[in-house]
This record gives sequence, C-alpha cells and structure tokens, in this order.
Amino acid sequence: MQTDPHILQAFDRDLEAIQAMIMKMGGLVEAAILDAAQALETRDEELAERVRLADKAIDALEEQINTEAARLLALRSPTASDLRTVLTVMKIAASLERCGDYAKNLAKRATVLAQMEPIGDTSGSIRRMAKTVELLLQDALDAYIKRDVELAQDVRARDREVDQLYNSLFRVFLTHMMEDPRNITACMHLHFIAKNIERMGDHATGVAEQVIYLVTGVLPEDPRPKADLTAFARMDEAND
Amino acid sequence: MEDLRLMERVADTTRTKITARGVQVYYGEKHALKDVDVDILDKTVTAFIGPSGCGKSTFLRCLNRMNDTVASARVSGTILLDGEDIYDRGVDPVQLRARVGMVFQKPNPFPKSIYENVAYGPRIHGLTRSKAELDAIVEASLRKAALWNEVKDRLADTGTGLSGGQQQRLCIARAVATHPEVLLMDEPCSALDPIATAQVEELIDELRAHFSVVIVTHSMQQAARVSQRTAFFHLGNLVEYGETGQVFTNPKDPRTESYITGRIG
Repeated sequence: MQTDPHILQAFDRDLEAIQAMIMKMGGLVEAAILDAAQALETRDEELAERVRLADKAIDALEEQINTEAARLLALRSPTASDLRTVLTVMKIAASLERCGDYAKNLAKRATVLAQMEPIGDTSGSIRRMAKTVELLLQDALDAYIKRDVELAQDVRARDREVDQLYNSLFRVFLTHMMEDPRNITACMHLHFIAKNIERMGDHATGVAEQVIYLVTGVLPEDPRPKADLTAFARMDEAND
Repeated sequence: MEDLRLMERVADTTRTKITARGVQVYYGEKHALKDVDVDILDKTVTAFIGPSGCGKSTFLRCLNRMNDTVASARVSGTILLDGEDIYDRGVDPVQLRARVGMVFQKPNPFPKSIYENVAYGPRIHGLTRSKAELDAIVEASLRKAALWNEVKDRLADTGTGLSGGQQQRLCIARAVATHPEVLLMDEPCSALDPIATAQVEELIDELRAHFSVVIVTHSMQQAARVSQRTAFFHLGNLVEYGETGQVFTNPKDPRTESYITGRIG
C-alpha cells in the first residue's frame, strides 16, 4: 500500500491525527485491562474504582475519533488505502471501546468479589489470561501502525491460547460450583470475567483482521483458528 | 455478497462494444499512446482518468477518428466497433462519427437556433423524411438531454443564448439526435457549476440505458460517481482498467493508487 506523502499535506496530518488517537485509545484500554485484573487479584477496590472512572476517557476518545473520521470523509473524500485507513480506524475504535467496557465490567465485579471468599487461585489465572489478551491487543495495534500483515496473522493465530485458557477456567469454575454451591455466586462473577476477557481476545483478532484489510484490501477468508469449546461442554465432563 | 446499492451500480452487460488492440499514437516524434488494449462494454459508462498529457483524450479521439483531423497524428493498431475495424478504408469517418458521437469540454453550440442545433445532424445524415419526424427527433433528443422543459417554448432562440449548463446539455442533445451507439465525452462538466454538473451526471447515468458512454474527466469523484468501469492512463500507458468500485477502493497498481489518492507518484 501507499506510504508516499500526499500533495496536500494537511490530508496527511488529518490521517496521522486519527491514527494517533487510536494509539492513545489503545494505550488506555491496555492499561484498563491490566489494572482491572490486578485489582481483582490483589482485591484492590480503589484501583477497581479508578478503572471504572477511566472508562469515560475511552468512550470520549471513541466519540472524537468518529467525529474526526466523519469530517475526514466529508472534507477529503479519501480513496483506496486512505479510505481503508479511515474505515479501519472507525472499526478499531469500536473494538477498543468494547474492550474498555469489558475492563470496566471486570473492575465492577472485582469490587463485588473482594467481599467474597477467593476461589482457589482462579484470580491469578484470570490475571495471566488478561495479560495474554493485553499482549495480543498491543501486538494488533503495533501491527496496525507498522502495517505489518505477518504480525497481524500471528495475533489471529495466538487467539487460540486465550480460548484454551478460557476453556480450562470454565472447567475449574464448574468443578468449584459442583463441589460447594456456596461458591456459585463468586464463580458466576469469575466466569463472566473470563468470558469477557475471551471476548477481548476476539476483538484483538478483529483489529488484526482490520490490519490485513488495510494493507491488502481484502479481509482474510480462511476461518480463524478457534479453540473455545465450552459451547459443547457438559456437566459430567467437568471432573474428567 | 452484493447489496442492492452495489447491484444498481453493476454494469448491465458484458457485451463488448469497442475492442482496441495494440493502439499506438504518435504526434510527429512524440509517442503519445503506447500499445493500448481495452474492451469497452456496451450500455456502460467507462471513465478515462489520468494526469494531463497521459493520453486519455488522445485515445478517446481515436475512437471516432477525430485524430484524422490532426495532421501530425499517426494511429496504428486495431479498433473494432461491433467487430468492425473503424480504420478500414471502406469506413466513412463522417458516418462513423454519427455512430460514435462526441461532446467536448467547452459547450460549442452552433450559432443557430436551439431547434437547428439538434436538427442539424439528423438532417445531414438523412435520418428523417418529414418535418414531423424531425420535430419528433428534436423533442426526443432534448428530453433525453433533460433540456426539453427549459427550452420547449423558445426553440427558435439562439443556442448560444442559453446558460453554460444548458448549452452543454444542448450539445448532448445534438450528439444523441443521430442515435449514436457510443457517446464520447471529453471533460463535459469542467465548465459547469455543481448543479449543472449533477444534471449532466444524472443524464449520463440515464443515457447508458441506450448506449455506451466513454467519459474523460479530471475529477476523480466524477469518475467514481458516474462510471461502472474506470481506466487509468499514465505517460501514454493504460495502467489499470477495472470495475470502478475496485479501482477506487483497492487499485492493483501503485501508480493508480498514487494518482487517485493525490500523492506524488
């Protein structure tokens, strides 16, 4: 794809500005994921509260990106890779906004869970899972800014790891709930958290796919490697 | 998956109207057009885009032998209209130009009445036998050019007294009056305001129901708006030719991308 400067330099500045906003938003979302998972593991209600409040800034950035993207479409009539840049910026902003919401939700549940008995070392596992997803997102955004299709493909492939982490957590929660019904409330919250982190992994994959579209002009057609098998899980398997 | 909007933009046919193979044009020593191969579809708007001097107008002018009138021009290669070589010695260029009409950049109505501007072509080509038939052709042509309602009460007025946009639509009416099979348009809107431009563009979209339209334009947005096929010319080469949506979202050649995105290539 084209990287030469435009004859009209203000066009380049506009395109750079909306991409800079995406990177800023990405940084905020990554921090929110890590902080929320830390708040869960360390039972830090203050940190959880800060994550919840910080989501406002993420939402505001998304709105600003959409406004700027609309302006750019109206005023510059971008075509080809310029058009794809604007389209992908809007999609990635939406993905990041969702990830921010999931992190906020994680923080809310962390506050509730801080009042309950811990369920084994599951909050440690969740934090490791969150770290894996944060790295995926970081690489996906890195691939975006570097127009690196190979790295984007790598992110797509690595989402499997997140799915596998989720699968094993799912079984652990099931086991805890069957062992002692008093664990159910905490396990339900933890399960939603794990599921939401797994969804963040899907969004990171979505960002990686946007990178492929941006560079090549086509979305990848081959089915994404998936390893989330919980849709087929049964109770009697939990103790296997 | 194609939605309704995309379906509307799809060319209606895959029938080739004009086939060009190995077309070369020299103006004296200057090699203006280098080995152009292209198939232009029937009932489709094809846009030629490219920077000044890229050969797009030169190629357009080959399609109805307008280059015959330029003393220094030499054209080689083959151009077939419905399979028939238009450079064959048996082809009368005047008859050819009735089949392949042309509209120019600057509106150039004859210094005659509005009626006479449109009636001239059908009359010299002997397309009508009576005044009534001629009247019918004039009305139909002016209607096709979306000008009838504005001029029907003053057909005897001089054509040069109309506004720029009306004059250009009069030239289009004049071109369609001989029932051409192909209409060539060289920058038809460059002298028009946005409203008149929109009217001419709407007209172009309607005209493609009847024949093939080939338009040379410097406005990329216009090419994107009106055409189903786009050809990009650069330094006398046909660089890329494809479906307009593809050319504007995902061009194959980096030179095309540089040009349509406004970069220094």
